[in-house]
Amino acid sequence: MKNNRIPLLYMACLLLVGVLMAAIPASNNSGYQVGDTARDFKLKNVDGKMVSMSDYKDAKGFIVTFTCNTCPYSVAYEDRIIDLHNKYAPKGYPVIAINPNDVQLSPKDSYKHMQVRAKEKSFPFPYVYDETQEITKAYGATRTPHLYVVQKQKDGTFKVAYIGTIDDNSREPNKVQKKYAEAALDELVAGKAVSQPNTKAIGCTIKWRQA
Amino acid sequence: MLAMAFGLLTSTAALAQEVTTIKFDQLQELRQSPHDTLYVVNFWATWCKPCIKEMPYFEAAHAKYKDQPVRVILVSMDAVQDKEKRVMPFVQKRKLQSRLYLLDEPDGNTWIDRIEPKWSGAIPATMFFNNKRGQYEFIEREISEQELQELINKYKP
Repeated sequence: MKNNRIPLLYMACLLLVGVLMAAIPASNNSGYQVGDTARDFKLKNVDGKMVSMSDYKDAKGFIVTFTCNTCPYSVAYEDRIIDLHNKYAPKGYPVIAINPNDVQLSPKDSYKHMQVRAKEKSFPFPYVYDETQEITKAYGATRTPHLYVVQKQKDGTFKVAYIGTIDDNSREPNKVQKKYAEAALDELVAGKAVSQPNTKAIGCTIKWRQA
Repeated sequence: MLAMAFGLLTSTAALAQEVTTIKFDQLQELRQSPHDTLYVVNFWATWCKPCIKEMPYFEAAHAKYKDQPVRVILVSMDAVQDKEKRVMPFVQKRKLQSRLYLLDEPDGNTWIDRIEPKWSGAIPATMFFNNKRGQYEFIEREISEQELQELINKYKP
């Protein structure tokens, strides 16, 4: 009798491990691919107002940027994200920055800390908080910074035109040779297809809320 | 005298590993290593909190399996400019004993897909492989100590 219990306990453990593994979030194949329709969102900006893509009547698209306060890569790119906005908002492609990180795991990504950082850097674009991580999961963002350039279609939906990184050198802006995001945006603005619609970079993993 | 010699011996034993700066070709060479050895290659950086959290598990695995065909290798994604000021002090403070590389390839877009197309570029990330046996597994997230142990047990020759 006693001997029979051990395999049972063992099986129960295996089952538990299986359940736990299934609960681990975000396989990197989920989320949008280039060409997919991106959903709109309604997220709270640092000024307390809710922001949606549909609020912008004149925009031709958006540079949806998953970024945060705490990742050194994100911080290294802050000025370049501001530059992107200042260059492409007048051409119809403003930045909307989304902080995806769970505040329990990353306390300095709290809404209050976002407000402080947005003020310090005078962000000229909304910096919104995806508290439930629903939008981050829908888009399939995995790291910060992670850019999704979307283009507004005639029917008012948003089509993903570019997914990836800003440029080829996070550490040294003055050594940048390939401005991947700008190249994609220039093509979109010129009415052309994006020739390099997917790029990759090392970045900080998004801090997923523990189940 | 004896105490001094002993002190010297223990301090030598506790010295941290050197950090070898490599380019992508050397990483590729490592990935294609033909030996009947389980390679556990972890991609980390000094600025990556979850990487630092899981690092003791890799160090423990290195110590546990150092006499077996299991090689634990930590590949830093820090910029090469930060090697002396950030990476070396970190490595020395923690007396890291695993094999240490720093990959000097600032443009991830040129190499991430070539080492693993499924990798989005987020770290921590870890690959397990034994090319002699055609075994390979890739994990793009933080790993638990138990999970690391299970994967090593599963694949070690």
